[in-house]
Amino acid sequence: MATEAGAAAPLPRRRRLRLDLSTPALLGLPLGWLAVFFLVPIAIVAAYSFNVYSIDPGPHSFTLKAWHDFLHSPIYLKLFWKSVKMSLAVSAVVVVLAYPLAYFLALSGTKRKYVLLLLLIAPFLTSYLLRVLAWKVILGDQGVINSFLFWTGLRSPDHPVSQLLYSRFAVMLVLGYIWLPFVALPIFVSLESLDRRLLEAASDLGASRLQAFRRVTLPLSLPGIFAAFLFVFIPTLGEFVTPSLVGGASGYMYGNQIVDLFGTGFPDWETGSVLAIFLLGVVAVLTVAFARFLQPGQVATE
Amino acid sequence: MSDVALSPSGRWILRAFFALVVLFLYAPIVILLIFSFNSSPVPTFPLSGFTFHWYREFISNGELRGALETSAIIAALSSVGAVVLGILASLALTRRRFRGKSAVSALLLSPLVIPYIVFGISLLLLFHTIGVPRSLFTVVIGHIVISLPYTILVLVPRLDQIDASLEEAAFDLGASRLRTFRSITLPLILPAVLSAFLIAFTTSFDEYAVASFVVGPRVTFPIYLYSALRFPSQLPQVIAVAVVVLVLSLTVVIAAEVGRRIAERRLGTQ
Repeated sequence: MATEAGAAAPLPRRRRLRLDLSTPALLGLPLGWLAVFFLVPIAIVAAYSFNVYSIDPGPHSFTLKAWHDFLHSPIYLKLFWKSVKMSLAVSAVVVVLAYPLAYFLALSGTKRKYVLLLLLIAPFLTSYLLRVLAWKVILGDQGVINSFLFWTGLRSPDHPVSQLLYSRFAVMLVLGYIWLPFVALPIFVSLESLDRRLLEAASDLGASRLQAFRRVTLPLSLPGIFAAFLFVFIPTLGEFVTPSLVGGASGYMYGNQIVDLFGTGFPDWETGSVLAIFLLGVVAVLTVAFARFLQPGQVATE
Repeated sequence: MSDVALSPSGRWILRAFFALVVLFLYAPIVILLIFSFNSSPVPTFPLSGFTFHWYREFISNGELRGALETSAIIAALSSVGAVVLGILASLALTRRRFRGKSAVSALLLSPLVIPYIVFGISLLLLFHTIGVPRSLFTVVIGHIVISLPYTILVLVPRLDQIDASLEEAAFDLGASRLRTFRSITLPLILPAVLSAFLIAFTTSFDEYAVASFVVGPRVTFPIYLYSALRFPSQLPQVIAVAVVVLVLSLTVVIAAEVGRRIAERRLGTQ
């Protein structure tokens, strides 16, 4: 039957293909995919948070109870605030470290700037988990740093430097390590697109290098700085993989709490959904507020 | 020109700082490399001797090979899916006028900013609600969503670069839209399509957070790694695999970037 149709109707088929490239046909599949596998799932989580759906059998109806409990719980909001502070610190340190790197690449006139940029970014494009693994090997009580200290006699094996792994410090160090290469990119793009004649004009008018930097370069690279900051802050705020591997109890973050609420121990999907939707809301507000700095072109066109 | 931005000494300081940061970024990878050849079962100083033992052990580890294979299948399926959807969306965004374009483009890029933990849970609840058992395909579905914006970010700038009048000429000369796409547009954007494919592939191959919620009985490589990280006895093997994967992915990434630049230079930009 298929061969019959194929042999009988070459022309209509051609017409059909032509129609297939109309705007709705182009957008139908990508938008449909996102609607079914991205928007609907989020709506389902929201429904769980209002108890419209539930894993518990029996009757259940719309209620704000989980939201009320969440907003009046000392644990969850405190944990969220702790995660905000950790992410803020990581993002700020990483942006401050990345700025001179991007400045060097964009403005020092070096000929190999794209090679050096690739050198900087390449680690970011390798496995996330393996980079965390490397730090686990380095920081452990029997790890590279401690065993090196024992070996050289700087520290006795009975007293390893034990705060290295499973601490808030370890989480922040590893997150900073992971995001540093990527953050240089948006800053580089904003510095690269800076009109050099402005700097020459500043210099001709008697500005020192520091003045030119403070009054011209820095303000003009602010969009890149904001974009870089958000590119780190948003993913680290919901982070749960790194803290679960190197964080121990003191590095426990908001994301770990969400995982535990959906975990196998004592699952509480209703509360977990509230926590997830709250995080999503915060991220959405941040994204919309800073949307003008998050020009997609900034990431795409190195 | 450049002396307005940097004094000679400032340039030296920044160069030294850049070198230090690169050292900091690569040192952990080099340390893994060293310990993957170390004969002691725990990664500690002093080094105890050179061995290929851990590499041999991981090659004969069926579970690990199975996980690598599962990840390769998932990455292949999801990157093809993401690139196809990405081409369709990018064509609409660059070649068509329609109302609500900025909203559509925001929606298409929004998976970039969603916390993966929230997305993973959302997919888990979706499959739970409609009663779909978790499998390889549930992971593929999630990874297509995650990779789609990356493919669009690579394809749209390239489509913007090529001269649309070439396509109009082909269309005016009687080629169908599909024929125009096949013989004019696709060859010109091929380097970007390949690099979109590679980005989607590596994104999926490395993805843990979303997969951890929707993975079925066949575990992926990152999920295998994560559970292996909890058993110190497996550590040296895992380090050996880590080295292989890191070196492979660094090579692919650099080759892809260099290749894309060469190809685009050859094809020319308008």
